[in-house]
Amino acid sequence: MSFKVDTGLINSGAIKSTDSYQLVIAGGGPAALSAAIYAARYGIKHVVLESWKPGGQAALTAEIENYPGFSSIVGSDLTNAMKKQALEAGAVFSMETVESTQEKDGKILVRTDSAEYSAEYLIIATGAAPATLGVPGEEKYYGRGVSFCATCDAPFFKNKKAIVVGGGDSAVKEALHLTHVVSELGLVHRRDKLRAEPYLAKKLVEHEKVTTYWNSHLTEVVGSDQGVTGVILDTPEGKKHIDTDGVFLYVGTVPATEPFTTLVDLDKKNAVVTRDIVGTSNPRVFAAGDVTNNGFRQVVTAVSEGARAAAAVFDLLENE
Amino acid sequence: MRLIPGNTIAEETKTTDKLTLVDFSADWCAPCKMLHPVLDKLTTELSAKVSFVTVDIDKDPAAANQFGIRGVPTMIIFHGGKEIDRMVGFRDKASLKRDLEALTVGTLG
Repeated sequence: MSFKVDTGLINSGAIKSTDSYQLVIAGGGPAALSAAIYAARYGIKHVVLESWKPGGQAALTAEIENYPGFSSIVGSDLTNAMKKQALEAGAVFSMETVESTQEKDGKILVRTDSAEYSAEYLIIATGAAPATLGVPGEEKYYGRGVSFCATCDAPFFKNKKAIVVGGGDSAVKEALHLTHVVSELGLVHRRDKLRAEPYLAKKLVEHEKVTTYWNSHLTEVVGSDQGVTGVILDTPEGKKHIDTDGVFLYVGTVPATEPFTTLVDLDKKNAVVTRDIVGTSNPRVFAAGDVTNNGFRQVVTAVSEGARAAAAVFDLLENE
Repeated sequence: MRLIPGNTIAEETKTTDKLTLVDFSADWCAPCKMLHPVLDKLTTELSAKVSFVTVDIDKDPAAANQFGIRGVPTMIIFHGGKEIDRMVGFRDKASLKRDLEALTVGTLG
């Protein structure tokens, strides 16, 4: 077993934090990678701070079927290809976690776990993390049957029972992935209709292994020393105990905006409020992808926003 | 980071001089691959206080069962052969280092 990620995809470069940059790109997912490709090709002096998490959430997606040019592609294959393309274009990456930011004397100061950067502009593309339900048993059994990543954990549930909670694209895509492995799959959704793409939703709901629990809420995860054994649902017919070995949660996301709270306006859900798609309340800061309040959280929109953000920075630098 | 057979976990983790982090991992697991460079880096940075080893759950499914692993990556931290903490999923270097250092203070003094 190899424990080295393809070294061609890691280039920490010779980053000197004392250097002044034209642009810092924070994030490692499709929005950041796209911004990196465009920034490198525009010749912008930049660094991408990717937080030890190359590929972001997209890298954890089993199959992406709606990215133009690919009928189906494994998420990590797509993000690895994006990173390879960025490196070939001359993008510079460093694996550091952004901890705080501030604006001082017309510069954006970015402090990470190991360095400080000064830049004229910042693109926030730090994405979002899975949201939790906050119900009893959820934390206790995380890694013992509770999961936020079917792509990662599906093999543990071969010929076993699993429950998926959620109704969006992520829930439905990952549930479909699970149908290849599990013996029975329950789908729990708080409404009576899925929000996901109708094509995928129909495919899932009509699947022979799937039982749907509409207008239902998961209120507790129960288990033993060995892990999850069931869930309690609040359904229109009252409380129900459902036997299951796994619980996969896709109940929304939490934008990763903590280091940027004093730099840009956030909405009630802590997403970056955008203007003209990638602008923010701070003229030196742009935002792209799942970290924004743009709503449509897809790889194709993230890469589009990353490109727009880099192009906006290029225009500003050209007109200085 | 050393790959160890699952049946040597008890022997590998019995020391009280250091903590031992056992990373349960798999080739098909994307966040495991994201985590490995982090663990490689911390193997150097925390070498005086923490030993890092990894178990391939596909080669050693019995070890995964023994420790109730139903998700990867799962990191179990041992001291003197006893599990003192468990972390599931990808962790960035800064937060993992902070948590491990806090555990060393609590156990190694």
